[in-house]
Amino acid sequence: MTDQTRFDPYMTAIIANRIDGIVREMTNTLLRAARSAVINSARDFSCSICTADDQLLASAEGLPIHIFGSHMQAAAMRKAHGDDLKEGDCYLHNDPYTGNTHAADHTFMVPVFFEGEHLFTTVAKAHQADTGNSLPTTYMAGAKDQYAEGALIFPSVRIQRDHQMVEDVVRMCRARIRVPDQWYGDFLAGIGAARVAERRLKELCTKYGKAQVKTFIRDWLDYSEQRMAQAIRKLPKATLAASGAHDPFGELLPDGIPLKVQVSIDPDEATIELDLQDNVDNVDCGFNESEACATAASIAGVFNSIDPTIPRNSGSFRRIRVHLRDGAVCGRPKFPHSCSVATTNIADRLVNLTQSAMAQIGDGYGLAEGGIGLGAGMAVVSGLDHRHGDSRYINQLHLGSSGGPGAPEADGWPTYGIPVIAGLMYRDSVEIDELKHPIEVRYLRLKTGTGGAGRQRGAPALEFEYGPKEHPMDVLWPCDGTHYPPKGVRGGGDGVRAQHFKIAADGTETELPNIVVDRLRKGERVRGHHTSGGGYGDPFERAPAKVLKDVLDGFETIERAERLYGVVFTGSLEERTLVVDNEATLARRRAGPA
Amino acid sequence: MAYRISVDTGGTFTDVVVADADGGMTIGKALTTHERIFDGMNEAIGNAAEQLGIGLDRLFAETGLLIYGTTRATNAIVTKRVAKTAFLATEGFPDVLLLKEGGKFNPHDFSKDFPEPYIPRSHTFEIRERMSSEGTVSIPLDEAQARVVLEKIRALGFEAIAVCLLWSIANPAHERRLSELIAEIMPGVPVTLSHQLIPVVREYRRASATAIDASLKPLMQAHLKGLERDLRAAGYRGEILISTTAGGCGHIDAITEKPIYTVGSGPAMAPLAGIVFSRLENLGDNVIICDTGGTTFDVGLVRDGRLTFSRDTWLGPAYTGDLLGIAAVDMRSIGAGGGSIAWIDDGGLMRVGPQSAGSVPGPACYGRGGTEPTVSDAATVLGYFDPHNFLGGRMRLDVDAARLAVAAVAERIGLSVEEAAYRIVSLASDLMMRAVGDITINEGVSPRESTIVAGGGAAGLNIMKIAQELGCQRVVLPKVASALSAAGMQHADIVAEEAASLVTLSTAFDTEGVNAMLADLTARLEAFRAGLKDGGAGCRIECIAEARYLSQVWELDTPLARHRFDGPEDVAALVESFHQVHERVFAVCDPSSPVEVVNWRMRLVVHLGTQPLTAPGTIEVAAPPARERRNCYFGGSTPVVTGIYRAEHLEPGLRIEGPAIIEEPTTTLVVYPGMAAVVSGAGNYLLHVA
Repeated sequence: MTDQTRFDPYMTAIIANRIDGIVREMTNTLLRAARSAVINSARDFSCSICTADDQLLASAEGLPIHIFGSHMQAAAMRKAHGDDLKEGDCYLHNDPYTGNTHAADHTFMVPVFFEGEHLFTTVAKAHQADTGNSLPTTYMAGAKDQYAEGALIFPSVRIQRDHQMVEDVVRMCRARIRVPDQWYGDFLAGIGAARVAERRLKELCTKYGKAQVKTFIRDWLDYSEQRMAQAIRKLPKATLAASGAHDPFGELLPDGIPLKVQVSIDPDEATIELDLQDNVDNVDCGFNESEACATAASIAGVFNSIDPTIPRNSGSFRRIRVHLRDGAVCGRPKFPHSCSVATTNIADRLVNLTQSAMAQIGDGYGLAEGGIGLGAGMAVVSGLDHRHGDSRYINQLHLGSSGGPGAPEADGWPTYGIPVIAGLMYRDSVEIDELKHPIEVRYLRLKTGTGGAGRQRGAPALEFEYGPKEHPMDVLWPCDGTHYPPKGVRGGGDGVRAQHFKIAADGTETELPNIVVDRLRKGERVRGHHTSGGGYGDPFERAPAKVLKDVLDGFETIERAERLYGVVFTGSLEERTLVVDNEATLARRRAGPA
Repeated sequence: MAYRISVDTGGTFTDVVVADADGGMTIGKALTTHERIFDGMNEAIGNAAEQLGIGLDRLFAETGLLIYGTTRATNAIVTKRVAKTAFLATEGFPDVLLLKEGGKFNPHDFSKDFPEPYIPRSHTFEIRERMSSEGTVSIPLDEAQARVVLEKIRALGFEAIAVCLLWSIANPAHERRLSELIAEIMPGVPVTLSHQLIPVVREYRRASATAIDASLKPLMQAHLKGLERDLRAAGYRGEILISTTAGGCGHIDAITEKPIYTVGSGPAMAPLAGIVFSRLENLGDNVIICDTGGTTFDVGLVRDGRLTFSRDTWLGPAYTGDLLGIAAVDMRSIGAGGGSIAWIDDGGLMRVGPQSAGSVPGPACYGRGGTEPTVSDAATVLGYFDPHNFLGGRMRLDVDAARLAVAAVAERIGLSVEEAAYRIVSLASDLMMRAVGDITINEGVSPRESTIVAGGGAAGLNIMKIAQELGCQRVVLPKVASALSAAGMQHADIVAEEAASLVTLSTAFDTEGVNAMLADLTARLEAFRAGLKDGGAGCRIECIAEARYLSQVWELDTPLARHRFDGPEDVAALVESFHQVHERVFAVCDPSSPVEVVNWRMRLVVHLGTQPLTAPGTIEVAAPPARERRNCYFGGSTPVVTGIYRAEHLEPGLRIEGPAIIEEPTTTLVVYPGMAAVVSGAGNYLLHVA
C-alpha cells in the first residue's frame, strides 16, 4: 500500500518518468505525421499535459512560449463547455483572448476521462503554415485589429464528438485556409498527438489507479515548486529593471515600442515578481502580446537564468508572479487589437529584458540579449509552383537564424533562431526547401565578424540570398533588430543590426525596411542577415587562444580580434601560420579598449 | 571445416565465440589490446580453444571462417584520431557541417559551448559550382578554381577528402569531375563522394556521412590489412569477413571502400543473435533485444524476422553529435547500467543517473575508491551478487563499501538501506523500460506480442523486472548473454547495399525512370555477387522504398514485394504497403493522399549457410532445492532466504521458482519472487515473469 499523505520520492519519480514518455510520444507523432515544413522540419509546435483543474503538469521539450500558457487554454475549454465535456471530444482553440498565444497556433485539446472522471487535458499546439489571414502570412505585422488580421478564430470549438469529426469545422477551414490539403494533414497530426496521449494516460491510470495518480499530480507540482523555491533562495535579494524597445514600424510607430520589465527577487519568501505594468498601451498593429505570450516570455527569461533542470509546470510557476496591465502592449490585450505577431517580436524582447536584468545580479548570473528578428531567413513565402502544374504553396522558411547570446560559461549558438525558440527548433535543409518550394538559395553561411564581443561572445549572424525560380513569389516578414540591436551585458558588446536588400534582375540593390510585404519576380532576390547575439563579460578577458580559434574558424576577423578583444597575432591566416603574440597582446590589453 | 570464429573487440573486453559444426558455442574473453588488436584477439581465441580442449594452432587450422567486429572506427572518432580530412562544399555553403540540422534538448540550458563540426571550418573548401534541385546546372563547375583549391589541399598535407555538393544526388556530374581532378592532382589520397556513399536528400545528412567515411579510410585500411597479415602469420588460412552496421558482413576490400559501415557494427550484431535465440526457443519473429553493460543500455528490434534500420543514428548526443546518416541497424543507447549513480535532488526526488561511476573508480562495491551509490552497489546490498564469487570469482565485492554508499541515499528518504537499494534497482529498471518503450512505440510494435532476448554482463539483474513492466511474457537469457554481439556474428550474412535517390509520386509515377534505376541497382549488386566465392549462391535481394505522404518530410521504410513496376497494380501495391506502415507507426493513415518515394534501397543478402539451431526437447521438472542459500531482499526490510544455483549444477528442463539467484560465470540472473526460470534444451534460460 502506498501512503498517500506523504511524499514518495520513488513512486513520484516513476510516474514522472512515464508522463514524460507520454509527452515525448505526442511530440514524435506530431513531428513525423505533419505535412507543413514549419511543423515537420522546423518543429514549431509543442505538446503538454494539463490536469483536470487546469494546471500545467508536464511539457517535455516544448517551446516555452507555447506551453507556459496551455493551462489557460484548458481552463477556457472547461469554461466554454462545462458539464458538456465528454469522453471522445476534441477541441480546437486559437483565440489569443482566452489563453492562446496567437491565432496562427492551432491548439488541439482532448479531455481525458477515467472511470467517468475528467483527469487530464492533453494539449498539442502547432504553428500553422496558414490560418486564413487577409495576407499570405501567419505574422500580420500591419493588421490594425483582429478583423484586419482575418484569421479564423476558434475559441474552444469542438472538432470531434464520440471520436467523430465535426465536418462543419473542416469545411469552414478548407474554404478559407490556403493550401487546404496541407492544413488538413497538420490537423490530423495535431488530433493524433492529443489522442495518443489520451490513450497512454488511460493506461497509466489503469496501472496505478486513480488515487495514486492524483497523489502523483499533487506531489509532482509540490516537488516542482520546491525545486524552484530552492533555486530562488540561492539568489540575492534584489530589484532589477531593464528597458529597451522594439524597432520602429513605418509612420505608425516612428520611435518603436518602448518596453520595461522589473524583476524583484525575494529569497526569503522564495518568490520572483515580474512587473510588466509600466508599459505603453496596445498599438494598432499586430505586435500586441497576448496574455499567454507576455507571461510565457518573461517567465522564460527567469528559467534561462536558473538551474535548467527545474520542471516547467504550474508547480514551479507558483513561485513566479507576473503582474500585467489590461490594455498594455505587453499585458492583457484590449479587444479587438491584433496579437498576430505576439509569439516573436515583443515576446523576444521580453525574454531578453528579463534575462539581461538577471545578469545585473553579478558575474555568473543571467544572459546577454539573444539575437532577434524574424527576417527574410524566416519569411513566409507563397506562390505557384511551375514544376507541379502551377500548384499553390505557402510556408514559413527556417533557413536563417539570429545569433545566440553569450552566457556566463558558454558562447552563443548560431542555431539559436530567436529568443523564444532558444535553439530548440530545427533548421531547414536547403535541399528540402528547394524541393518543396520553387526557390534557389545562392548562399547561406556565417557572417564573419558579427557576434557581440565578450568574454563569452554572442554567435555571429547567418547571411543568405534567395529568389524564386519561375513565377513571382510573395515574401512577408516582420523583422526586429534592424534599428535596435540586441545588447551585451556586463561589459559585453552589442550584436549587429539586421539588414536586408532586394536585388533587381539587373543586379542593382535596394535596402529594405524592417517589415516587408513584397513580391519577387523571376531574377529578383533578397539578401541579408538577422541580428547576432550580445556578448557576456569584458572581451579583454576572453582567452587569446579562443580568439585565435574564432579567427581560424572564420567567426572573427583579425581586425576585430585586435580592436575588440585586444589580441595581437603574428604570422598569416592565408598561409596558416597565425599565432597569438602573447607579449603584444598583454601590452595591448593593459592599454585598455581602443 | 569444423569451426567458425567470431570476434567482437569492445572498448574493454574482446569477446570471442567459437561455434562447432553442431552450432554449440564456446565463449572466450580477454582484455582488448588497443595498440595491436590481434594480441587480445589471439588470447581470447586461445581462451576458447582451451575450453574446447584443443590447441590454438589446431583451432585455427580447423576454422573455415572468421568474422571480425571492431570498435576501431568508433574509437577513432570519439578520440579524434581520424585522418586530416578536407571537406569540399558548394560555394556559398561552407557551414553545412557546423550548423547541422539545429535543435537542442533543453531550451533553458545555456551552459555549453556550441559543438565543434566534424571537420573544422578551416578544413572546409568551397568549390564554385551549383546544381539545381531539378538536376540542371545553375553554375558550371569552375575547373580552374577547383584546381587552385586542390593544389592548396595537397600543399597542406590533407590525408583524405570528403566531397558533398548540393544536389549531387540530382546530377552527380560535378562530384564525379572533382574526383577525377583529385585523382590527377593527389593520386592515392582517398576520396568519398556523397552521391555514391549516401544518395539521400538533405545536405547535412549526406555531408556528415561523407565526412565520417572519408576520415576513416586511411586508418581502417591500415587496420584491416594489418589484422589480416597478423592472422595469416598466425597460420589462419580461412576466410575473413568484417561485420557492419548494416547488420551483415563483408570482405575487407569492400569494407575499406566504405569504412563508415564499421561504426557501431558491434551492437548491430546483437539483433541477429536475438532472432536466432527467439526462433531456437520457438518464441517467434518479433524480438526486442536488450543489451546491458556497465554504462549503457542498448535496445534494438527485430520485426517479423527483419532487422529495423534508421538513418537517425547519432555519434554522441542527438542534435549536437555527428549524424551517421546511413541506414544502420537501429540500436538505441541510453546512459544507464550497473554504474549509474543514485541520488536525491534538492526537491527530495529520487534519481538514478545520468551520472555514472564508469569503470574508474567504478561502483563502491568494486573497492577501487568509489563512494557514490550505484545500481551495482544496490544489487550487492540486496544480496544478489556473491561477494566471493562475482564474475566466476574474478572479482571480490566490498559489501561494506556498498552499504555505506547506499546508506547515504537511504537516510535522505527515511528508509532502510535494503528498501532504498531495492528502489534504486527498480528506478534504473524503469528508465530502461522507457527506453524499450520509446523504440517499440516509435516503430508501432507491441512489447506484449514480442520476445525479449537479453544480453550483456549486467542483463540478468533486472531483465525480468523490465519485462514485467512492459507486459512482455516471453523472455530469453541466452547462455552466451555476456557475448551477445559475438554470438550474433555467427549468424551474419554477407550483405551489400546500394541506394539511389529518385523522387516520384504515386499519382504521376515515373515507371520508366524507377525501373531503370532499380535495374541499375540490381546490376551493381549482381556485379558484387559475381565476385563472391561460389558466385554468392543462395542469395536474395530485398528492396525498400523510403516513402512518405505528399508534403510530409520524414520517410518510412516500405518493403517492396517486386523489384520492377510492370503496371498500375504494382504502384497500387506500393501505396498499400505504405498505408500499412504509416498506420502501424502513427496509428493513422490517409488513403486520399498520394505517396511520394524519395530514396530506394536494395540489399543483397548472401546466406553463409549456418545450420539453423534446434533445441532438444525437454520435460520441465521442478529444480531440487538449492545447495546454497543466502539472504536477499526484494523490496521489504526483512530478508528472504533465497536459493543460489550455480550454472554448472543445472540441467535442461529444470524449473527454478523465484526468489532465486542463478550464477553464470559471466552474469548473474535474479529470479524475483513470483517469477520463474526454466533451463531450455539448448541451455538458455526461459524466463517467466508472471
